[in-house]
Amino acid sequence: MAVIEVAGLVKTYGETRAVDGVSFEVQEGEIFGIVGPNGAGKTTIVESVEGLRQPDAGAISVLGLDPIRDRYEITERLGAQLQESRLQDKIRVNEALELYASFYRHPADWRDLLDRLGLEGKETARYADLSGGQKQRLAVALALVGSPEVAILDELTTGLDPQARRDTWDTIEDIKRAGVTVVLVTHFMEEADRLCDRIMVIDHGRVAAIDTPAGLIGRIGSKQRLRFRPSNPLDDGLLSRLPDVSAVTHEGPQTIVTGTGNVVHSVTALLAQQHVIAQDLRIEQASLEDAYLALTGDALVETGSENR
Amino acid sequence: MAATMKLTRTETKLFLRDPIALFFGLIFPGLMLWALGLFFPGFTDHVAELGGDRYIDIYGPIVLGLGLATLGLVTLPPILGTYRQFGILRRLRTTPVHPVRLLTAQLIVHGVVAIASTALALVVVVSLFDVPLPQSPVWFLVSFVLATASIFSIGLLVGALVRTSVSGQAIGMGIYFPMLFFAGVWIPRSIMSDGLRFVSDLTPLGSAVQTLEDSWFGTTPSLMNLAVMAAYAVVASAIAIRFFRWE
Repeated sequence: MAVIEVAGLVKTYGETRAVDGVSFEVQEGEIFGIVGPNGAGKTTIVESVEGLRQPDAGAISVLGLDPIRDRYEITERLGAQLQESRLQDKIRVNEALELYASFYRHPADWRDLLDRLGLEGKETARYADLSGGQKQRLAVALALVGSPEVAILDELTTGLDPQARRDTWDTIEDIKRAGVTVVLVTHFMEEADRLCDRIMVIDHGRVAAIDTPAGLIGRIGSKQRLRFRPSNPLDDGLLSRLPDVSAVTHEGPQTIVTGTGNVVHSVTALLAQQHVIAQDLRIEQASLEDAYLALTGDALVETGSENR
Repeated sequence: MAATMKLTRTETKLFLRDPIALFFGLIFPGLMLWALGLFFPGFTDHVAELGGDRYIDIYGPIVLGLGLATLGLVTLPPILGTYRQFGILRRLRTTPVHPVRLLTAQLIVHGVVAIASTALALVVVVSLFDVPLPQSPVWFLVSFVLATASIFSIGLLVGALVRTSVSGQAIGMGIYFPMLFFAGVWIPRSIMSDGLRFVSDLTPLGSAVQTLEDSWFGTTPSLMNLAVMAAYAVVASAIAIRFFRWE
């Protein structure tokens, strides 16, 4: 069942089309990622879904409701963490949670949320005294304190150190396990790969692709690359005659073999047969990052051809 | 309503945690009158050029006006600027509670502090310097309410439009000091030239000080002074509501 349905969303700021005909659906219980370069329109899309912005064209339905017309009902059932939003410096963690909990018909137990988000013992800490990671986890707690069915998290881990980022990922997986549908805006591919069931790549206000992480990677081919330093000299011809190998190149003492399918097995078998040891062997596979760069790069080319 | 009360409670706690706002908003008027009366030479003597009044008598209403202006123009606008700058108003828009409730809470907090600060100042001058209690209490109350409404509306208007805390502070101060001048902080209104006093009558704080002084000493405030304050309150708050920026 689709929890969020967006069709033909357009939003213009002055001369700029920030969002230019975006359509997507978010299914119940999934983590749906929105990735794209800065200024691609990600935040405008989620703010339109949250009802903070009035689109110029297109239809948005959240839990069967209209974000602008059914404003009140949406705020009860959708929790939001906004990019670059903070709290009063001197407010205490428990005061903020108690306050926000009082806004909702069916609030969650905020003490339980504190424990789940690893903020236990921080109840009486002032907002200004929290670390970056703790502030972000409090923002998540506030987004969840109304027991929402959908949570929208915008650039949650930007500015966090790697450990805090990983802790926050665990939190997001917990939210999903609790049955909440999550929309995650990010520009970290590692984060999207690890967390998202499906990812929408946005570039220049348009949808470049919507797919699973594996599906996106698959779009740029299943190329693999072996990089190693042979213990004895090895004839390139033997390597390039292998059925799955497409190219053999050298970088200093390193041999680089590119291929598809069973290339790793074929190469290692050949090396064993020739009594060559592959020193410093590394196998590289296309990552989501590669797929993302290819997709957003393609979009750039398309825009270029339109301008002609 | 419940949310407004909850917000008011939280905002009260936050106000009490700000020592500077607490000092200047709550304590300063009473403290200033106490210090003037005690240490300023001749402040409690009857003076011929004031028509036989004492400086402490006429400074009571002036300092009350100053206290209201401090709350409305110095404390309030930067808070609203901060709430916009931090995205707190925007964040509230994603909850079932409209951010207008936060503004209401802020106005309630500032209003309560204004009452407390005025009461404190009254206690100081009445108990220590033989100043009478307000002789026309009803008119005094009307004057106080209109004065607070007009000054706070101007503060709300500044807070409605500024993007940041710093610009709220700058613009608030830019209005505050000229207002203090026309309120008679440096030259009491009774010594002002007719032309200057007329301009002072047209400012909300000038009219506030005049009506507070009139009602304090048993004269019915002039309709013109009351109307000036009412007009500022209505016009400034209408513009503030019309052009308020939530982000």
